[in-house]
Amino acid sequence: MPALRAEVRQVSKKMGRAQALQQVNAVFDAGKVHGIIGPNGAGKTTLIRVLAGLLHPDEGSVVYDEAGKLLSAADVKRVTGYFPQEPSLYPDLTCREHLEFFRDLYDLPQAPFERRAEELLYATGMAPFQGRPAGKLSGGMYKKLGLMCVLLNRPKLLLLDEPTVGVDPVSRQELWDLVYGFAGEEMTVIVSTSYMDEAGRCSQVHVLSGGRMLASGMPQDVMNHFGVTDFAEIFLKNE
Amino acid sequence: MKFSWRRARSVAYKEYKHILRDPFTLAVTLILPMIFVGMFGFVIDLDYKHMRVAVRDNDQTSVSRRFLQEMASSGYFNLTPVHSPAEADRELEQNGSPALLIIKRGFGRNIRAANPENPGQIQLLADGTDNVQASIMGTYLQGVVQKANAVFAKDNPDLSGGAESGARTGEQIRSRFLFNPELNSRWFIVPALSTIIIGFLAIVLTALTVAKEWENGSMELLLSTPVRPSEIVLGKLVPYFVLTFLDVLVVFVLAVYVFRIPFLGSFPFYMLACWVYITGALALGLVISVVTRQQQAAIQFAFAVGLLPSFIFSGFIFPIENMPAFFQYFTALFPQRWFLLISRTVFLSDAAPVTLAAAFGAIGLFATAMILLAVHKFKTDVEP
Repeated sequence: MPALRAEVRQVSKKMGRAQALQQVNAVFDAGKVHGIIGPNGAGKTTLIRVLAGLLHPDEGSVVYDEAGKLLSAADVKRVTGYFPQEPSLYPDLTCREHLEFFRDLYDLPQAPFERRAEELLYATGMAPFQGRPAGKLSGGMYKKLGLMCVLLNRPKLLLLDEPTVGVDPVSRQELWDLVYGFAGEEMTVIVSTSYMDEAGRCSQVHVLSGGRMLASGMPQDVMNHFGVTDFAEIFLKNE
Repeated sequence: MKFSWRRARSVAYKEYKHILRDPFTLAVTLILPMIFVGMFGFVIDLDYKHMRVAVRDNDQTSVSRRFLQEMASSGYFNLTPVHSPAEADRELEQNGSPALLIIKRGFGRNIRAANPENPGQIQLLADGTDNVQASIMGTYLQGVVQKANAVFAKDNPDLSGGAESGARTGEQIRSRFLFNPELNSRWFIVPALSTIIIGFLAIVLTALTVAKEWENGSMELLLSTPVRPSEIVLGKLVPYFVLTFLDVLVVFVLAVYVFRIPFLGSFPFYMLACWVYITGALALGLVISVVTRQQQAAIQFAFAVGLLPSFIFSGFIFPIENMPAFFQYFTALFPQRWFLLISRTVFLSDAAPVTLAAAFGAIGLFATAMILLAVHKFKTDVEP
């Protein structure tokens, strides 16, 4: 089953008094790992939430298609996995209980669930910690659990809002490896990050600053476009 | 997407685990009603008994002593004899007697003479700062006078001669109070108190649940899944329904076995009414939670909506019939008013449930409206 393609068209969004997004255009091609990069306050979370259908654009629209076939908002929700930046798991529920809760929310049959859970637990190395409550996990393990929950359903579009914030360098590497491990033909991944060194890991980057999309493309092309050797320089230049 | 029982059940199961793993909430929910109903049930007693009264008997005859004996045996008064005006003052001002009874000189002689022009006289001076006690004391004293008259008439046939009598017994009104023959205020209070406490607790319990998910950030993750508002609302209602229903049973046992309040009505009907009533209260809590999205604001709302009006507009403290017309209609909005009527009626009388159809309909309507409102107000996005 092919991954989703998302296209953001002229999207503007005000959050309170702040203009969080201003006429943003972006194309998120299917099956790739996209990075939305920008400093804090650039509008990354707002854009991810708009993509997840949790915020509605004041102007503009987002369209999703699966191999050329347009999808409704309800259909998109069924095949989208989203893990927010803020802690959003239940501290008193164990890893296993989280997986079972999401199994029911996604209405997964037991046998495929068991196979998928085993696959995810193996890939994340979380199998020994199934009985541990989410509130007692380390930063990296917490994010891995969140990732497992949203990957259970084999989403065609995976949205991760700053998944590596508050995570040690080794776990950051592991998380990126996981994302690449699961991305591919069947899943488009959109990750937001304010760590500029992570931009190079993406197959496509979308540079967001002050609510405006400055550029999109392959990392090297974007750096060439701005005449810089490091993504941080783009924002320093633009300040 | 269709309503999914599986998703609703998974939300309920998750909520049930939260409850079990939070011993504080569990303890508060199960113990608080016991403490409140137990404590208030014992403390709130509207029956005045053993009121301290200073007595100055200026007559000192067997008749006056007989009268005082009747007064003391009524159980309403504790009599303290005083022998001088100074002692009477001291009793009133320093020893806290709220009243002074003076039996005038010639009381016994006049009663024996049975002269209607010149009856035996007593005077009651009561402390008007506590107007309720003062008026109750006056009423009780009239009762004692009436009874004493009957006793004197028995002893002295001349007194029973109607108009010629010095102490007229008159036509006696014999009142018999149905359903609560002793007019025991505890019988009246405990069924009502449990209504209010359980209703309030139900509102507070659910008022926190959705707001907590918003504050913890879990709502954002939940809303990104296919789960629907109706599934979340149902999933949140069920575990708290079970918990609150346990409270209903605890309070029922307390009322019947500790306070010895008779339960004469239909038990199945009462249970059904309890289910509907607590569902409405839980759903109201959810509406508060869904709208405020913050625990602190939710708890303040829950107190404002759940506690004050339920004391004032339910008829628990102030009789609804005495309210201005507008407020009489206004009270109809509060399910506590209707459930209180059901609760008091089924406890103390064996009225057929059909006589409570309107009250039952009102709590049913409220519960339905609140569930629909909670689902309707439930946001499926994170817009501020």
